[in-house]
Amino acid sequence: MRAVLWRAISGQRRDVVTGAVLGAAHQAGEVMVPVLIGVVIDQGVAAGDLPALARWLVVLAVVYVALSFSYRFGARAGERAAERAGHALRMELVERVLDARGGAEEGRLPGALTNTATEDAKRVGAVNMSVMLAFSALMGIVVAAVVLLRVSVPLGLVVLAGTPLLLFLGHLLSKPLEKASEDQQDRAAHASGVAADLVKGLRVLKGIGAETAAVARYRVTSGDSLAATLRAARAEALQTGLVVALTGVFIAVVALVGGRLAASGEITLGELVSAVGLALFLIGPLEVFAWVNAQFAMGRASAARIAEVLAAPHAIAAGTSPMPVPVRGSLRLRGVSHDTLKGVDLEVAPGEVLGVAAVDPADAISLLRCLGRTADPSSGTVELDGVALADLDPAALREVLLVADHDADLFEGTLRENVGGAHPEAMAAAGADEVAGELPGGIDGHVAERGQSLSGGQRQRVALARALAADRAVLVVHDPTTAVDAVTEARIASRLRDVRRDRTTILVTTSPALLAVADRVVLLDGGRITDAAPHADLVTRNAAYRTAVLA
Amino acid sequence: MNRELLPVATAARTRAVLLDLVRPYRALALGGFAVMVVATSIGLLTQPLLGAVVDLVASGEPAAAITTPVLALVAVAVTQGGAMTLGLALVSRLGETVLARLRERFVDRAMRLPLEQVERAGSGDLTARVTGDVSLIAEAVRVALPEMARSGLAIVLTLGALAILDWRFLLAALIAVPVQWHTARWYVRNAGPLYARQRVAGGAQQQQLLDTIGGATTVRAFRLEADHTAKVAERSNTAVSLTLQGVNLVLRFYSRLHVAEYAGLAAVLVAGFLMVRSGAASIGTATAAALYFHSLFAPVNTALVLIDDAQSAGAALARLVGVIDQPEPPALDRPKAPQIEVSGLGHAYDEGRPVLHEVDLTIRAGERVALVGASGAGKTTLARLIAGIHRPSTGTIAVPGEVGMVTQDVHVFAGPLADDLRLARPDATDADLREALTRVDALTWAETLPEGLATVVGEGGHRLTATQIQQLALARLILADPPVAVLDEATAEAGSAGARVLEKAIETTVEGRTALIVAHRLTQAAATDRVVVMDGGRIVESGPHDELRSSGGRYASLWEAWSGVRTTSENPLE
Repeated sequence: MRAVLWRAISGQRRDVVTGAVLGAAHQAGEVMVPVLIGVVIDQGVAAGDLPALARWLVVLAVVYVALSFSYRFGARAGERAAERAGHALRMELVERVLDARGGAEEGRLPGALTNTATEDAKRVGAVNMSVMLAFSALMGIVVAAVVLLRVSVPLGLVVLAGTPLLLFLGHLLSKPLEKASEDQQDRAAHASGVAADLVKGLRVLKGIGAETAAVARYRVTSGDSLAATLRAARAEALQTGLVVALTGVFIAVVALVGGRLAASGEITLGELVSAVGLALFLIGPLEVFAWVNAQFAMGRASAARIAEVLAAPHAIAAGTSPMPVPVRGSLRLRGVSHDTLKGVDLEVAPGEVLGVAAVDPADAISLLRCLGRTADPSSGTVELDGVALADLDPAALREVLLVADHDADLFEGTLRENVGGAHPEAMAAAGADEVAGELPGGIDGHVAERGQSLSGGQRQRVALARALAADRAVLVVHDPTTAVDAVTEARIASRLRDVRRDRTTILVTTSPALLAVADRVVLLDGGRITDAAPHADLVTRNAAYRTAVLA
Repeated sequence: MNRELLPVATAARTRAVLLDLVRPYRALALGGFAVMVVATSIGLLTQPLLGAVVDLVASGEPAAAITTPVLALVAVAVTQGGAMTLGLALVSRLGETVLARLRERFVDRAMRLPLEQVERAGSGDLTARVTGDVSLIAEAVRVALPEMARSGLAIVLTLGALAILDWRFLLAALIAVPVQWHTARWYVRNAGPLYARQRVAGGAQQQQLLDTIGGATTVRAFRLEADHTAKVAERSNTAVSLTLQGVNLVLRFYSRLHVAEYAGLAAVLVAGFLMVRSGAASIGTATAAALYFHSLFAPVNTALVLIDDAQSAGAALARLVGVIDQPEPPALDRPKAPQIEVSGLGHAYDEGRPVLHEVDLTIRAGERVALVGASGAGKTTLARLIAGIHRPSTGTIAVPGEVGMVTQDVHVFAGPLADDLRLARPDATDADLREALTRVDALTWAETLPEGLATVVGEGGHRLTATQIQQLALARLILADPPVAVLDEATAEAGSAGARVLEKAIETTVEGRTALIVAHRLTQAAATDRVVVMDGGRIVESGPHDELRSSGGRYASLWEAWSGVRTTSENPLE
């Protein structure tokens, strides 16, 4: 966590230092403004001295130019550091998630990981800005303290001790209010969440004529939420009112002490005016400290989340054996046990089309995980051309062996980009040429994120086309046609062998149409292979197979 | 289908609807405003009282004399704090109440929009309005409205107070206004489009990350890591550079405001100098004027920054009012008949591209009919026309009553499972819910959830599988209990094992109803009373499964190809 934070700051040290120095200059300038107002009143207005007035107004102008520019360039450097550090962390996270050895997504939802890569990365990056602001605020307080103490030690002490005390009191008084307010905010946010949820489910609601029930339910939620919001708003109003009252009382105290000192001639009128102005000014940098503290707390929490993802254990280890060249595409499973699998032995010849029908879907998933090396078997080995998969580099392995999952994701982009090129043969074999025909732009038509603009059947056909187009020596497909209509499924089955000729293909499915085109089908039942034969033979001789596939 | 976004209201219409919403709360609005004026005015006594301290010291009064104005300062602070609390509470009450009424009206209208219109706009349009726009306005009401009320009043009343000190002070202070006016206009002109681009870039970055992270397994399987990393980097870089452009804009905005601050401050000080010299004002008055002007910096900056928020909230409001103003759609007026009678039905989503031709179909009361055919054959269109989602281009449909529909679009409503089900029948008892779940074979898993039927499901809640979600959809249909049920590929999202569970659930769901089932697994078709085969927008075959299977027609060859057990040698696909 510390390492993440430190990297985020040290990586941008030039901008952070620039920002801090310029920010300090800006704060010094802001201190000078009320001071100079006092001086102008003192030496110009009260003394009726025109040249002095002109002189001090020029000084004020110079101070303004300096504070304005130092603020502009200082804040720019700070924000740049924040954004760049956030970007660097974001990329680091994405690279970790995409690491061939996997493991980073384990136990984390995509939405939560995305949030870490956006919000958490941003917050850790923003610590740069906090560092810069904290340093500037500190300098502002030091300059103000020096000025005040030079004017009058007792008055200076009153202001310097009073301001933090004021903020502390405000903090103390508002703490319970803030807590209440946060709780209420959460409940208030609920109403908009419910509304969005109902709109997302609009088709479902309309399908069962539940619009009126939904509207009635929303009214109740909205009413509850309003009540909660109003309680929160009252708490916030009270908090603001308290701060306003406390600040006013504090100014009165400064006026009392300063006025007495001025009346006794210890300080000038102008110095009194400056002191009042500085008392008001000091609230600013001290509030920055409170804010920075909160930012650091959030930054630390975010850095911890990022560190946890970056340090997530890999799901598999990368092997170092060289890839067999050329790849023939034979597979051998020896006593593979993993999750539900119990000692599976299986040989797949190069170029064979093998069907795998699993009675329990969990067996199919365990097998797919071992073949695609999302996990290594707890015992036994999987070999490609005689080399154990665990000894190979997973990234290199995936260039010859592809496991196309049932719920494989499509990506935002054109259809062509999703399939990885034109590939007319693969498109036709998967029935994705029809999808292209249905899209407004054809093969260059747009596919929304995760393929959401397509129907389930269209998505599956595009995903299958992509798997075929990748043209790997070994292809394992899982239930590629569950959302495809029977006519299209039959057509896909009839073309599959042709497009995969001479390359090894494993069809993990219970679709009879697909299993019928396999050279051989193995039945996976209770974690073991219980039968192996062509589809037609299994249909006639094996009752368990009939139930799994044809029922 | 061409995109046709939902309408956006004109500025005049938006104002009218807003006024209409505020009208019932007129007293609250006036009261809140009055209290805020009082609170701000009391606060403005601070500077003259400080001026009085200065004057007392300047005139050589004894130190004890300043006690009175100091006590007055304390009184001012306490009263101002109290009045501010009350005023802000009233203003928030007004804002939040109106916001609640606004979102309720929006949801009410959104729920009644014709599905056709929502789909033409893209489902994202309505969702974006209900999430993005509503929360934008909510944020504006929560933060910007009280701030705006405070700052706006502080500015106006401070300028008034300057005028009371002496009108010449006001004149001097107003020197800053042209610069501020010009700066604000410049800022708003540039900020609007830039922030719009920022939002788009932020959304694109989020989307890319979701795509890449959510699809990490696929990315790795296809060795697309470099491609996706580059895409994320590009979108993140774009977002970063737009953010920095925005930062630059804000910083230049403040630079210009610094010019205004200096000009105004110098003018007030010079005015003070001249007036003190001519005896028109005391030093204390000049001090008060300078302090007034100095105290204007914060509210002016706040108000100018809020202009931007106010503008985006206004645009969001126009998008909400655009939907609120939609007329109530005319009720779907369809002839009643004891059975479903479809005659001469034709339909085109886009003119000149018909997808259904002259379809005639009668479904007897209580009959279960399966629709089979390739994608694009017109199955879904026919199902949706019968369900009443679209109006047919030609022909008529007569139905016996309500038509319930379950499609492959799945959604679980966030909240307790029981509440989700009760959307279908609000007065359903727990026993009703259990019975419906039993019929779709879902009670077992539902009861093993951490808190049974009270378990929170949907977004942010307990995650259900695709099969479980679809079982819930069927249970809702049972609770809604329509005489006609249309099921459009309701098993498509579930894997093959889930499909079998769902097929059984569908069978019990449609019991006692007239049912039209769009099926892609032929076992499902085999279990119905009659199979209707469609091709190219026409019905090409119709009859019971066994009959069609033995007739050697299109369905027969389809069945053979599907089951993978060939009895004839002809090619099923041509």
